[in-house]
Amino acid sequence: MGREARGIMEDGARLMERVRARDGAAFERLYDSYHRLVFGVALRMLGDATMAEDLTQSVFMKVWSSPEAFRYGNFGAWIARVARNRALDVLRSRSLRDESEIPADLAEPGSLDDAVFSRLDSERVRRALAGLPDEQRAPIEMGFFGGITHEEIAKRTGIPLGTIKTRIRTGLRKLRVDLEGAVSR
Amino acid sequence: MNGSLEHEAMLDLVAVAALGSLPADDLRIVTLHLATCAECRAEYDALRPAADAVGLIAEEPIDTLRSARMKKRLLAAIGPAGGVRRGSSPSGLIWSSSLVAAAAVVFALVSTVQDIRLRSDLANAQRTTAQLQTRVAETQRTNENERDMLADLFAANAKRYTVPNGEVVASGSHVYFALRALPALPKGKVYQAWTLAKGAKTVAPSVTFTPNATGSAIVQLPANATSLAAVALSVEPEGGSKAPTSKPTFIQPLS
Repeated sequence: MGREARGIMEDGARLMERVRARDGAAFERLYDSYHRLVFGVALRMLGDATMAEDLTQSVFMKVWSSPEAFRYGNFGAWIARVARNRALDVLRSRSLRDESEIPADLAEPGSLDDAVFSRLDSERVRRALAGLPDEQRAPIEMGFFGGITHEEIAKRTGIPLGTIKTRIRTGLRKLRVDLEGAVSR
Repeated sequence: MNGSLEHEAMLDLVAVAALGSLPADDLRIVTLHLATCAECRAEYDALRPAADAVGLIAEEPIDTLRSARMKKRLLAAIGPAGGVRRGSSPSGLIWSSSLVAAAAVVFALVSTVQDIRLRSDLANAQRTTAQLQTRVAETQRTNENERDMLADLFAANAKRYTVPNGEVVASGSHVYFALRALPALPKGKVYQAWTLAKGAKTVAPSVTFTPNATGSAIVQLPANATSLAAVALSVEPEGGSKAPTSKPTFIQPLS
């Protein structure tokens, strides 16, 4: 079975301007460019390809029905965060657990308003993350894709809670600096 | 622990909040803190885009058949006129497909095995399913409400009024109390909010609440902010009062 190569992501923010004007062709191009990303987030978090498909469909239907939810910034990062939040909802529904509940977010997706970050792409982020020490990269990836709290990360890794929090902070600060450097080069 | 160390600990929590990995209780504490601490808010604003960028690494190659099927299904759902069919929330989609599958299995069992015990088991399972679905719906409603509330609290155009122990935030038609370190309540007492409608001469009773163990509370008042001239807070007997019976903790005009 053939596999699609990683796609070149078109400028999502520009396409979204046309989607807001109900341009179906722009929506299709948006889907072609970003469905692998949404599917990837869902698959990492849910671990089930069928559920990841359903979630991908629901995210793009939401994009079509409520395009105003995206305001500006990096569309890829925005839609990945939307997919993460939806996957968290599904995980909560599936496990029906109250403990260690993570609210989906502090602010609604769409707050990614930093002009510098609007030019990021996945390869730059991969390189920047790979440049972090494992002790900082691992809790960041577990926190984002694992759908678990920092307390659960500490439990699973056997590392003290305070250390986990500090590593997340140090790692995110370094990541920001590295990403800023990458896009300004 | 001195103040500086406490603040460093809060900055660590702010980073975890930016990543989206804080439990709900901790997130409420951070939310309250961000409303009043410019340094932590700046840290959050700096780290959030970096955390969001992490999602970009998830892009996965998809086999061409799956990709084509997904696209066909999406475009069919949207329809030729471009109108999205309603009522297809993500978890709804997943739940509805699961429920259809479960219903088919149940139907086959009942129609082929005429066994009273099975019917009894089925009834129990349906009751359990109904209870679980109710819990899921309640959880989802709570999540949606909390997201709306947090978005309101951090809206750029929200009006913020500093009051003792926190802020009153008016965002659009909503009004909130975001309070912390509230004094512990005497036994049998609660905090009660009051609203004064524009043109009114007396306050009307609003919600009662008790803060959490650290004295924090975020409360949405069930009133349209645009119709209010002022809000107030007082300590009242459990169950609330029709008119204030104690000196108000604060009275805040909404100008």
